[in-house]
Amino acid sequence: MLTLKSVQAGYGRLPVLKGISLHVRAGEVVTLIGGNGAGKSTTLRAISGLLPIWRGSVEFNGLNLARLTPEKVVAQGLALVPEGRRVFATLSVNANLELGAFHRHDKKQVRRDLEEVKERFPILRDRAHQAAGTLSGGEQQILAIGRALMARPKLLMLDEPSMGLAPRMVAQVYAILRKLKADGTTILLVEQNARAALKLADRGYVIETGRIILQGPAAELQEDPEMQRAYLGKGYREVWE
Amino acid sequence: MTAYILHLAIMAGIYIILTISLNLIIGYAGQVSLGHAAFYGIGAYVSTLAALNWGLPFPVALVLAILLAGACGLALGLPTLRLKEDYLAIVTLGFGVIVDLILLNLDITGGPDGIGGIPAPVFFGVSFRAKPLYLILVGLMVLFTLVLTLRLVHSYHGRALRAIRDHEVTAQVMGVNTPAYKIAVFTLAAGLAGLAGSLYAHYISFINPETFGLHTSILVLSMVILGGMGSIVGSLLGAVTLTVVPELFRRFHDYQDLAYGALLVALLIWRPQGLLGGGKMSLKFITRRE
Amino acid sequence: MFFQQLINGLTTGSAYALIALGYTMIYGILGLINFAQGEIYMCGAFVAVLLLATGKVNFITAFAAGMGSAALLGVVLERVAFRPLRGAHPLVPLISAIGASIFLQSLALLLFGPNNRPFPVQFEFHTITVGDVVISALQGAILLAALILMALLMLFVRYTRYGKAIVACALDRDTARLMGINVDRMVALTFLIGSALSGAAGIMMAIYYNATYPRMGLLPGLKAFSAAILGGVGNIPGAILGGLLLGVAESLGAGYLSSGYKDAIAFVILILVLLIRPQGILKGKGH
Repeated sequence: MLTLKSVQAGYGRLPVLKGISLHVRAGEVVTLIGGNGAGKSTTLRAISGLLPIWRGSVEFNGLNLARLTPEKVVAQGLALVPEGRRVFATLSVNANLELGAFHRHDKKQVRRDLEEVKERFPILRDRAHQAAGTLSGGEQQILAIGRALMARPKLLMLDEPSMGLAPRMVAQVYAILRKLKADGTTILLVEQNARAALKLADRGYVIETGRIILQGPAAELQEDPEMQRAYLGKGYREVWE
Repeated sequence: MTAYILHLAIMAGIYIILTISLNLIIGYAGQVSLGHAAFYGIGAYVSTLAALNWGLPFPVALVLAILLAGACGLALGLPTLRLKEDYLAIVTLGFGVIVDLILLNLDITGGPDGIGGIPAPVFFGVSFRAKPLYLILVGLMVLFTLVLTLRLVHSYHGRALRAIRDHEVTAQVMGVNTPAYKIAVFTLAAGLAGLAGSLYAHYISFINPETFGLHTSILVLSMVILGGMGSIVGSLLGAVTLTVVPELFRRFHDYQDLAYGALLVALLIWRPQGLLGGGKMSLKFITRRE
Repeated sequence: MFFQQLINGLTTGSAYALIALGYTMIYGILGLINFAQGEIYMCGAFVAVLLLATGKVNFITAFAAGMGSAALLGVVLERVAFRPLRGAHPLVPLISAIGASIFLQSLALLLFGPNNRPFPVQFEFHTITVGDVVISALQGAILLAALILMALLMLFVRYTRYGKAIVACALDRDTARLMGINVDRMVALTFLIGSALSGAAGIMMAIYYNATYPRMGLLPGLKAFSAAILGGVGNIPGAILGGLLLGVAESLGAGYLSSGYKDAIAFVILILVLLIRPQGILKGKGH
C-alpha cells in the first residue's frame, strides 16, 4: 500500500533521513521504532508532504507522493496524528473533528462519521462543545486520533501517541489502537515506547540516525538481542571498570 | 553649477548620517524605525532653538541636539524594544505623528511656519557659512559617524548585536543582555539622527515640520534597503544614489514616492540584500527561509 | 457634552474596529502587520465615491463595489507584496508592506489629486436631540452597519467550515495542512474579508466626514492598529472592543483636553498599553 524507497530528506542543508526504505501492506500495523533524533517523525513528515523529499520515492497505491503538498496527500487517504497531538486549542472538540474531514465533500457521510467517532470515543461526545485546549493530555490524544479518523484514511499514521501521557492513558490509547487494528485499519505507528508498539504491531522497523538498522515481524524483533538491549531494556547491567 | 553640486554633496552627507543610523537599528538590532525623521527633526529644532533663543554656540547646540534626540530614542525604546519588531515600527510611526503634531502646535517652534534665520556654525571665530567649508564640516561628521559605527560593528558588541539579530533567543541563552543592547543601539541611532538634524538646520537656515515627516522617514528607509540592510558601506551608496538620482529626474518629481514604494517592494522580493549585498557585509539573515 | 463625545467616539470607533479586524485577522494567520490596511480603506472610499459621482449607480451598488474593490486590492497585495516573502526575517515583509502602502498612497495622489472630494450623494438625515445631545441618524446608521458586519464576521468564523479553517491556520499552520486545508487559500480569504471590512469602513467615514482624499487612510490605519493591540492582537472580539474604546477615548480626549493633539491620543494609548499590558485587554497571541 505504502512504499518508501531510499528516501532522503532533512532540514535546511542538514540531512536527517539518509535513505529510508520501508513498506506497509493493506490491513497491516507497522511500527517504526527509534530513539530521539533518529528520524522517526521526520519520516512521517516526509510522507505527509510537510517536508520536501530530496531523493527517493514515496508511493501510495501506485501514486508518487514525493511532490505532493500535505493537502493533497490527505486527500489521497493518508492521515497523520502529529507528535504532541496538536489539537486546535481554542476550537471546540466538535470543530476539531469537523476540520479532520475538511478535504471531504460528502457532507452527509461526514456527519455520519462524526457520530460514529463520537460513538467510538464517548469522551469526545461529553466534551463536544468544550475548547480542545481544556482537555487532558490523554483526551487530546483521543481527539487527535478521532480527528484523523474523520479523514476516512486508508492509512493512519501516528507519531508517538504515548508521548507524555500517564501510564493509565497510554494503556487507554493502545486499547484504542488495538480496536482500530481489529477493525482492519492499516496503521503506521512511530514510537519510542518499543515494548507497547511491538506488542501491537505485525511488523516493525528500527531506525537509527536516519537509517533502518533492523526490520522484521514484531515477534522476531521482540526476541532480537540487539533490540532487547537497546530498546527493551533487558539484559542491562552496570559495567564497572 | 558648482554651488549646486556642493549642495547635493552636503545633502548627501546629511542623508548618509541618517541612513547609517537607521541601518544600525534595522541591520543590527533587527528592528525598524518609521519615525526616524522625528529624531532628525528633534535634532534640528533643538539645535535651532539653542542657537537662536538661548544664544548658545554651535558646538554646544550640536551636542544638545544629539543628547536630546538620543534621550527621546531611549524613552521610546525602553517600553517597546522588548516586544516584537512590528510594535516598534508602529510605535515609531506614532511617535513621528506625535512629534509632528507638537511641532505644529507649539509656539516656540513657530507652528507650521517653522523657524528661519538660523545662524551658520561658527568654530573658533570661523564661520562655516560658505558651502565648501560646510561640506568639510559635514564630511568630518560623516567620517565621525562612519568610524563610530564601523568600530561598533566590528567590536565584541557588534558580534553580540549580530547574534541578537540572527537569533535573539540563542543570544539570550548565551548571556547577551539583548534588551539592553537593542536599547543602546536605538539610543545611539536616535542621537546620530539628531546630529544630522542639527547639520541640516544650520545649513538650510530655515526649518518647518514638513521636512521631518513620514516622507523623509520613508526616503531614509529606502536608502537603507537600497544599500543593503546591515551594510554600512551600502548605506553610503544608498544615500548618495537616492540623493542624486531624483535630481536627475526632476521632471518626474510627482512620481518620486510612487517609485520609492515600488522600489522597496521590488528590492525585497528580488534583491533583499540590496546593492552591496554580495560582499562580506551581506546579511544572510534576510534571505533565510524557514 | 460627555454623551455627545461618547456618541461621536463610537461612530469613529466603529470604523477603527472594522479596520482593526483586518489587522487582527491577518496578524493572526500570518504574524504580519499589513501596513497598507489604511490604503485599502482609502481604496474602498474612492471606488464608491467615483462610482456615485457618475450618477449611474445607486448607493447600495456603489457600497458593494467599494467593498469588493478593497477586497480585491487586499488579495492582490498579498499575492504581490507578501507571499513571495513568506518565511523571510519578519522585518522583510514589514518593510515590504510599508513600501506597498506608500506606493498605493502616491498612486492615488497621482490618479485623483490631493484635494478632498465631497461625498456625491447628499443624505437627508434626521437628528434626534436628547437634552443637549444631538444624535444624527447617520451616526446611528454607521454604528448599526458596522455592528452588523462585525456580527457577520463572528458568525462566519465560529460556524462556517472556512471560518474554522482560518482559525486552524492561525493556531497551527502545519497541522491545518495535515487536515487538508490549503493555507495559501485561507490566507487569501483572510485578506479578502479583512480588506472588505476596511473598505466598508472607508466608505462610512467618507460619508461621515464628507471627505475622500489619498491620505485619508494613513491615520485611521495607524489608529486601528493601536486598537488591535489595545484589544489583543489576533483576538477578534478584542479588535472590536479596542476600536470602539479608542474612538471614545479619542473623542473624549479631544473634547476635554485639546483638540490639537487629538491624533496623538491613540499613540499615547498604544505606548501605555505596550508598557502596562502588552497582551492587550483580551489576551491576544501577539508579542
